[in-house]
Amino acid sequence: MNDAIVLKPRDYKSGVKPIWCPGCGHYSVLNAITKAAAAACLSRDDTVLVSGIGCSSRLPAYVDSYGFHGVHGRGLAVAQGLKVARPELTVIALGGDGDGFSIGGNHFMHACRRNIDLTYIAMDNEVYGMTKGQASPTTPLDWDRSKLTPHGPGVRPFKPAAVALAAGAPWIARGYSGNPNQIARLIAEAIAYPGFSFLHVLTQCITYCPEQTDWKSVVRELDDEPLGNADEAAARFFAEDGFQTGVLYRRESALAQPVASSPADPESVFADLQGAFQP
Amino acid sequence: MSDAALLDFLAHSTELEREAGERYTELAESLRTHNNLEVADFFARMAEESANHLAEVSAIADGRALPSIAPWDFEWPDAEAPETLSYETLHYRMTLREAMLLALGNEHAAERFYRRYAEGDEDETVRRVAAVFASEERSHAQRLERALEALPEVSTLARIDDDPPQMPE
Repeated sequence: MNDAIVLKPRDYKSGVKPIWCPGCGHYSVLNAITKAAAAACLSRDDTVLVSGIGCSSRLPAYVDSYGFHGVHGRGLAVAQGLKVARPELTVIALGGDGDGFSIGGNHFMHACRRNIDLTYIAMDNEVYGMTKGQASPTTPLDWDRSKLTPHGPGVRPFKPAAVALAAGAPWIARGYSGNPNQIARLIAEAIAYPGFSFLHVLTQCITYCPEQTDWKSVVRELDDEPLGNADEAAARFFAEDGFQTGVLYRRESALAQPVASSPADPESVFADLQGAFQP
Repeated sequence: MSDAALLDFLAHSTELEREAGERYTELAESLRTHNNLEVADFFARMAEESANHLAEVSAIADGRALPSIAPWDFEWPDAEAPETLSYETLHYRMTLREAMLLALGNEHAAERFYRRYAEGDEDETVRRVAAVFASEERSHAQRLERALEALPEVSTLARIDDDPPQMPE
């Protein structure tokens, strides 16, 4: 593949057609990733998308780059390992709110803390869509559309930006699927940021949460410069309604880039593993 | 004549038609996957129309180096290009009438966009080309309006799903 020529966004789309529901916000993120990749002239050979499990985690298949569709909640673990082993690659981890904040919640916190130079895009539709609409960590406490939680989950929703900040993430932004061009800009900025960049995207689930189409009327773009003071950011993230978009927090930070001593030889690793399982 | 003004206008026009075509194509594929073939076929036809209009714009721009503008730096009246259907307006059970009304809204939005240049731009060439584009969008809208009039009324109950997604867990 020769990427010396300038690629268009559509050149970053694979031949695999998405099977998301029509109206799903994840299309918008796919669209934004390809636009950001084209604008940043990313080489398809040197870009890797890593995901977990869920509707949104299907995304790597739809992009013409390298991709790894991992196990539930472990996209960030794989992505960090990859970036440590191959620091020259552009690594983008992605997944949904259930994948990233519940099953993979621990990996999320520690990825924020480690500050390895990669981008994490969490597509948050406040529901487990792939398993037919159960409450997720970000579901409003009174959401009563699932038969599993007929009176609502009854617990306070997770605040991804606040948790990311508390865990040490140096770059935090939020986008909204109704504005793919803004998401594209945020992704381009996230990739360019030298450190762990966390992009929280509100992506409506038209099938299980059709009320999310109302988000368009409450989402608003931040006019100010991103905050650089963690105390001020904490105050904002606890008080806000979660519909403010843009780069919300950015600080300079020492990058943690562990260096793998030497690439492992796959054949010797395989031989060791075989040996370990010998009776 | 300011060449820069014309090039900027053509860059916006090219992006507008390209985005429209790509979005309609994407939606046609998505609706086809979900077995709403009537709407899928309609979106595919709209994608063809956008491709034709893009070819027209590209012919005018032929040989000129259009400015390279980042996707987020285009100056649109709304979040996306005027003729680009927003994702959140769709549903897998949407009717042909609903799809046509959305497309009609797009044509009106594109006409308003071009009309703004046709009536307000300082550059005479931009005004002239924009007026042609605005008229074309108007004629697309009129064609859709006629098709809508000929379409039988469909009950809003069309969205009721015999096999709803939210089954008991």
